[in-house]
Amino acid sequence: MIEVEQLTKEYNGKKVVDQISFHVKKGEIFAFLGPNGAGKSTTVQMLTTLIAVSSGHATINQYDIERDQKNVRLQIGVALQETGIDNDLTGQELLVLQGKLFGFSQEKAVERAHELLELVGLAADGKRRSGTYSGGMKRRLDLALTLVHQPTVLFLDEPTTGLDPASRLQIWTEVRRLNEEYGTTIFLTTQYLEEADQLADRIAIINDGKLIAEGTAAELKAMNGAERIEVVLEDQSASEAFRAAFSGRIEKEIVLLPSAGTETLKQVVRYLDDHHLTARSLVVKQPSLDDVFIQLTGQAYKEDK
Amino acid sequence: MWRETLILTKRSLLVTLRNPFSFIPNLIISVFFLLVYTSGLSGISSLPQFGGVDYLNFILPVSIVSGAVGGAGGAGQALVKDIESGYFARLLLTPVSRTAIVLGPMLAGMLQLFVQTLLIFGMGFLLGLSIPAGSAGFFLTIVLALGFGLAFAGYSVGVALKTRNAQAAQAGTLLFFPLIFLSTTFVPKELIEAEWLKIAATLNPTTYIMEGMRAVLLRETIDWSVYTQGVLVAAVLSLAMVVFAALNARGALKK
Repeated sequence: MIEVEQLTKEYNGKKVVDQISFHVKKGEIFAFLGPNGAGKSTTVQMLTTLIAVSSGHATINQYDIERDQKNVRLQIGVALQETGIDNDLTGQELLVLQGKLFGFSQEKAVERAHELLELVGLAADGKRRSGTYSGGMKRRLDLALTLVHQPTVLFLDEPTTGLDPASRLQIWTEVRRLNEEYGTTIFLTTQYLEEADQLADRIAIINDGKLIAEGTAAELKAMNGAERIEVVLEDQSASEAFRAAFSGRIEKEIVLLPSAGTETLKQVVRYLDDHHLTARSLVVKQPSLDDVFIQLTGQAYKEDK
Repeated sequence: MWRETLILTKRSLLVTLRNPFSFIPNLIISVFFLLVYTSGLSGISSLPQFGGVDYLNFILPVSIVSGAVGGAGGAGQALVKDIESGYFARLLLTPVSRTAIVLGPMLAGMLQLFVQTLLIFGMGFLLGLSIPAGSAGFFLTIVLALGFGLAFAGYSVGVALKTRNAQAAQAGTLLFFPLIFLSTTFVPKELIEAEWLKIAATLNPTTYIMEGMRAVLLRETIDWSVYTQGVLVAAVLSLAMVVFAALNARGALKK
């Protein structure tokens, strides 16, 4: 569905996106994960024909993003990081206009506008100027505008950045629904590890313009080994012997032990019992994308709140 | 492409109408010019070089052209607003041709100037304007005003796309001063004494527009060769501006 080969964008000699290659399958939810300034938005802008490519190439549904832009635009729906709404027009006017620009007749455009206002819960506000809408309402109108022509591929550039947790969940539900009900292929960028983990079938991690890993969440986590058990002992003088018994390691007061499921957990609990040790805390940690990021880049992952 | 251009022109007009302060000040300024020039300067038309024409007819094109130059900035301002709201990016994401996307606000700007020109004429008639060549003079002036309006709206749209900055787009309208004042604005070319000003007036496209209007407004017989020159200048400028704007449309995203 989306094929990207060696795509590069240079600004003043600096490679903002540096020879990235990946592909997104039809019907997939693909997350482009990376910290602020990693090159996510630039990639989206290239793939959606908004800015020129410096080198490399990409196709969407077989259409080349440089040579066949009109067809690319017919395939894709794009919600950029910032909403694209003219405050002087009403929600209804904007939707009708959008439909007509995609070739709908007046009647068809009006019909579709009503449908979408209903869908995003703005039916009562369609006749008000969008300048009077709240931030959340504008986001929903923006999504509706993106869906007018029933795109087969949806690009969502940081759809939940800056949203409160409840609104974030709402967007997740909506994205899953679009994907399941209409089979829409979804390419989303995010700086939230959890979002990529929860939502995406596959994830590509981008840092400093370079693609550093790609795979399912499980595959990426597996790169960093299996789950582990983290224990903090009441009597920390026993930590060293405890660590050695399970060939783990110590970070500050925490003893980290490699784990192979419940069997290891049983052994750990038995060990503590046998040695009359009390654990101040004991947690089983699933490997996280956070760890993957640290391992690949040597730096902690920073989310921009 | 024409269907989309029409749709986008309508949209730009709707936005303009919903922001009356985007055009009312300029309207007042051009009517003001007409009033001040006619009452303050009309005496000079008794000079022999004017050949006995009415100074009101002579100065009317200045009012129209300065209205066009001042008002066309509005098209660029509206475009910068679209870039800043992100709506321009949404338009770029539609399959509509880039030319239609830039022509929409240009044509809306042109129509705005059309209405403005009619109002200036109305004001002129109230001041006792009579056109020796009759209604032909009136319509031909309007045609030239439309052409020049399109060119200037195109210029402001092009600058807006190139700079993507409200202040820069505003500064682009500073071109107003050389265009209006380095020309045969207040007196015919024969009366300009400074050689450099004569040269500037010859190079200034505005001269050809104003002279073209005067060719149909001043006398009973229309001077077709001067008028055609004006139309050609307007057409070439318009075309160049459409191309300039369309080429700068891509990548015109918020900075």
